[in-house]
Amino acid sequence: MTPPLRFRRWLPLLGLGVVLVLTGCDRQQDTLAPKSHASTDIANLFWWMMGVSWFGLALVVALMIFAWRKAHRRPGHEVKEGEQLGFRVVIGAGIVFPIVLIAALFVIGDIFVIKVTQAPAKDATRMTIVVTGHQWWWEVRYPGTTAVTANEIHIPVRTPVRLEVKTADVIHSFWVPELNRTIDAMPGKRNAIELYADAVGRYRGQCDEFCGLQHAHMGFYVYADPPTVFRRWLANQEKPARTPGGGLAAQGKQAFMTSSCASCHTIRGTSASGYVGPDLTHVATRSTLAALTIPNDRRDLSHWIVDSQAVKPGNQMPNMHLSGDKVKALVAYLEGLN
Amino acid sequence: MAIATPPTPTAAERMHLLETMWEGRPGILGWFTTTDHKKIGLLYFWTTLLLFGAGGAEALTMRTQLAVPNAHVVSPSTYDELFSLHGITMIFFFIIPMTTGAFGNYLLPLMIGARDMAFPRMNALSYWIFLWSGIFLYISFALGVAPNAGWFDYVPLANGHYDPGRNIDFYCLAIIFNGISSTLTAAQFIVTIFKSRAPGMSFNRMPLFCFAFLAASAGLLFALPLLTADTIFLFLDRNVGTHFFDVASGGSAFLWQHLFWMFGHPEVYILIVPAFGIATEIIPAFTQRRVTAFPLVAIAELLVVFIGFGVWAHHMYATGMATITAVFFGAATAMVVIPSTIQVFAWCMTMILGTARFKTPLLFIAGFIFMFVMGGLTGIMFVAIPFDQAVTDTYFIIAHFHYIIFGAAVFPIFGGMYYWFPKVTGKLYFELPGQISFWILFVGTNLLFFPMHIVGLLGMPRRQYTYPANLGWESYNLAETIGGYITAAGILLLLGNLFVSYFRGEEAGPDPWHGATLEWTTTSPPPPYNYAVIPKVSSAYANWDEEDRAEDRRKLATGVLVLQEGHEQVAVTPVDGTLDEIVEMPHDSPWPALLGLSLFLVFSMLVIGKYGVAGCFAIGCVLSLFGWHSKEPQE
Amino acid sequence: MTDYIAGGRRLEDVPKTTKATGVPAVQYAVARRTGPPAAWWGMLMLISSEGVLFAAMMGTFFYLRFNDPQWPPKGDPEPKFIIPLIMVAVLSTTSPMMQGAWRAAREGRLMMVRGLLFLALIVQSGYFAYEVTDFGHEIQKTPISNDAYTSAHYVLLAADHAHVFVGILFNLWLIWKFSRGITTYRANALQAITLYWHFVVLLTWAVIGTILSAAVG
Repeated sequence: MTPPLRFRRWLPLLGLGVVLVLTGCDRQQDTLAPKSHASTDIANLFWWMMGVSWFGLALVVALMIFAWRKAHRRPGHEVKEGEQLGFRVVIGAGIVFPIVLIAALFVIGDIFVIKVTQAPAKDATRMTIVVTGHQWWWEVRYPGTTAVTANEIHIPVRTPVRLEVKTADVIHSFWVPELNRTIDAMPGKRNAIELYADAVGRYRGQCDEFCGLQHAHMGFYVYADPPTVFRRWLANQEKPARTPGGGLAAQGKQAFMTSSCASCHTIRGTSASGYVGPDLTHVATRSTLAALTIPNDRRDLSHWIVDSQAVKPGNQMPNMHLSGDKVKALVAYLEGLN
Repeated sequence: MAIATPPTPTAAERMHLLETMWEGRPGILGWFTTTDHKKIGLLYFWTTLLLFGAGGAEALTMRTQLAVPNAHVVSPSTYDELFSLHGITMIFFFIIPMTTGAFGNYLLPLMIGARDMAFPRMNALSYWIFLWSGIFLYISFALGVAPNAGWFDYVPLANGHYDPGRNIDFYCLAIIFNGISSTLTAAQFIVTIFKSRAPGMSFNRMPLFCFAFLAASAGLLFALPLLTADTIFLFLDRNVGTHFFDVASGGSAFLWQHLFWMFGHPEVYILIVPAFGIATEIIPAFTQRRVTAFPLVAIAELLVVFIGFGVWAHHMYATGMATITAVFFGAATAMVVIPSTIQVFAWCMTMILGTARFKTPLLFIAGFIFMFVMGGLTGIMFVAIPFDQAVTDTYFIIAHFHYIIFGAAVFPIFGGMYYWFPKVTGKLYFELPGQISFWILFVGTNLLFFPMHIVGLLGMPRRQYTYPANLGWESYNLAETIGGYITAAGILLLLGNLFVSYFRGEEAGPDPWHGATLEWTTTSPPPPYNYAVIPKVSSAYANWDEEDRAEDRRKLATGVLVLQEGHEQVAVTPVDGTLDEIVEMPHDSPWPALLGLSLFLVFSMLVIGKYGVAGCFAIGCVLSLFGWHSKEPQE
Repeated sequence: MTDYIAGGRRLEDVPKTTKATGVPAVQYAVARRTGPPAAWWGMLMLISSEGVLFAAMMGTFFYLRFNDPQWPPKGDPEPKFIIPLIMVAVLSTTSPMMQGAWRAAREGRLMMVRGLLFLALIVQSGYFAYEVTDFGHEIQKTPISNDAYTSAHYVLLAADHAHVFVGILFNLWLIWKFSRGITTYRANALQAITLYWHFVVLLTWAVIGTILSAAVG
């Protein structure tokens, strides 16, 4: 008769272990490490649902273990007793009890919590950011300003922001788990969610709808900055590109404008005007390249320019077949675009 | 007791006459022309096992690629083909044909006391179309143009601009081609259940297995055309220049999703309801007790498919629909849970109230209940729309549906393989390796799928060919890969056990388990005519009704309802099961195999864009149909 | 002993329907059974499946319509009203003809069966020939690849015409078989194909209604 007792002792340990594992330290992109009221509500919902679920599972397992322990050997004899009890349990545990629980869940989740995760009204926030999904990078614009960047979004901390998503090609999905639910970027439609961060920090997000070959490498960062820092950042992003002083960087600019780079990438304040790839006006302010695929340092930038297909196979940037010198110059120029 | 040994010399003579009347052609030609539902069931069984192997290999390759971050086992484009093929194969080419084509075909006529399905030649056609549709799909893999936009293939990614090769054309046509097979099977099952039951088997005396297959068949019949329409539109958009999904010309990307999920959600119930049917037959046999609350369970089986037609947009919560629409679908999704909870508690109570013998089949059912409840609970979590919107398209949802599909569809299939192995082969399987195979599978699948819940909550989206090293996902992925290999080992042990048992197992006799349903009254394996006497039925547990079985033996001696004058079968009224007419069934025919081949040629020409030639082969199909119907059953 | 299973009849009275060939035997067999044969049920299944297919296509037409501010969009002609309605009315006459043929088969009037089948075939073929020609003219003037409206419009019509064509093939087969006499198999087929034609007629009304709805509002 001991198995049920041993099992019961394991259960809280198991629950604790799960909790520890899930709320682990130092994670990014973690639904259970919420940093906004919307994602906190979602995480809390999950914890409650998980608790009740373990109970439900334990109940069913207990029933089956009980069936095993209770069976005594009476071969080949049809058992007829107990139909009324069985019927009552099926009605009680199979109909009444689930209806009560599920109705409660429905009310809490779909009438109350849903209010914080639906799109904010257009006039409910003071700032709107428009994000456009491309294969396989994110275009970020700040309407009302000239700021355009890619794969990095900055917002002022503790300020509700309306984030609108659209797509330039296929369906993408904007998802930064620590701040809110996912929202699809659908062709022909503009969807919106609220972006809000409780604390200053960097939050990782990723495309959450299969969008082709490099769906795996379509991440982005959301930086929640103190208001002054944010304003400085935005003001900088609005400015046109810095003109290089001279030397290698100037050669790099020349190389950029005369080669096909300028037909795919825009650098505001120069003749480079293209919309296939990200806006590079302030590319040096970004911490990564290729939508979080590689860090934004000299070595990786060089490698990317020389052979982006080796880094992110299938991406829209062809192999440029540039000489080593030209690449050095280009990198020097791009490093100066901060 | 069974009618295995004929009671009198005249009875033996009658059985011999039946044997000559019903046996098919010998040899390989016999397999190509068979209309015997048992042979067709076996053909389906072997073919689906092969395709299961393919789907499993795809899964293991993906898991190997994901075992460590930034691996280079396969390229991104190959990975995209792998996950697409894995989904398509497992759903359309394994679960549906294994449950309906193999189990349904073999067992349904036996369970209702019939000699064959209502349309035996069309049954064979279902198989040949299925076989050729599987070959068609895997030709795309061999040519390096396998579908690569996922099993649900969203547009615009799947349209001609973003996916210009033949990949998606293969997808559309394979789905339509395979859909014909399943539609024919569904129609077959419904008509057979309505018209071919043994006289006296009114609806309330029909085994729960048959209710389950009726529900699944109705689901297939009404859901598949939605997918057919969707894939026709996509094929036309890609090849003829229509604009169903093209936003710039008035089309809608949402249209694809709506039609797809209006099919897709009922489809998942179609996947698991036959498995419920298998479970509801294994449980009575191994607890020696009729299932508790029979009418509730029967209605629940029908209701879960019916309500399942009304919940589709819960797959689309992230698309930006109006809150009120989302909440409506949330409410419908909440309702669909109840028929499943009814069944889970009915099964558990039957096990408690009866005398549970945890032999291998019941072990698999216990495992099934565990995994179904796990998957069902995470499914209930999706009633909360904000939570769904937070974890949709992540590994959390992969965990959810694999617990349901592997746990609630595949475990009963494995249990059913063990349970009916003695009936189909006449041999007993080896019990100890059977139990070991269960435990290996149980450990393996839980190790494979449980960490997916965690890693999905930690932010890992699905359909990624790799992942970075600094997000804390590595250990879970590695554990899952190990679990995958353990699962594969369990499957190999299971199949190996059955294989060896076939040659070395003990004689099973007609009824090793004292099972409840009619198939246990006849020999193992059953004779080609199934039952020497069309059985008398007074309940859904006919093998436990001793008086009826004794009466059948008396009838065999006196020649009542033996129907040995021709290839004869009964037809009854749909609801009450009263005997209405006696019909001749068609004999073996080469036309189904020929028509299957002709259809394959039609689809092959369509996929390479040769529409004129396809038209010619279509004319060939029409001529095959004329040939098929030129000889009538009584001639 | 076996009354319970034969609905109060004697077992010997249960007809062996497939064995019946020739007018009197078939008449007897068909009259003795209480419900439709498996063939009819099978056709009902096919009709259900095709019905859902058309529901999807008609639903698509309306879904796309509510997405579009103007319907038909600029550049696409409004659908014609009079001729399509006349044509579907003509096709509808095939329903009573087929039903009459089935009734005649039950009553053993073979010549009537053949005559009505032949008449129905003429109506069906005439309808089909006209519709196909009209379709060809229309699609040359306004290609299918114009926009979502033309896509939905032509696919819906083409699917309907395809089902009429299949019905014509069914009728050809019936005429061939009934020219050689009557068996229960053939009578069952006639019963099932009659059901098919009722479906096709209703379907064509629904399809034309959908097509013409673009002219309204």
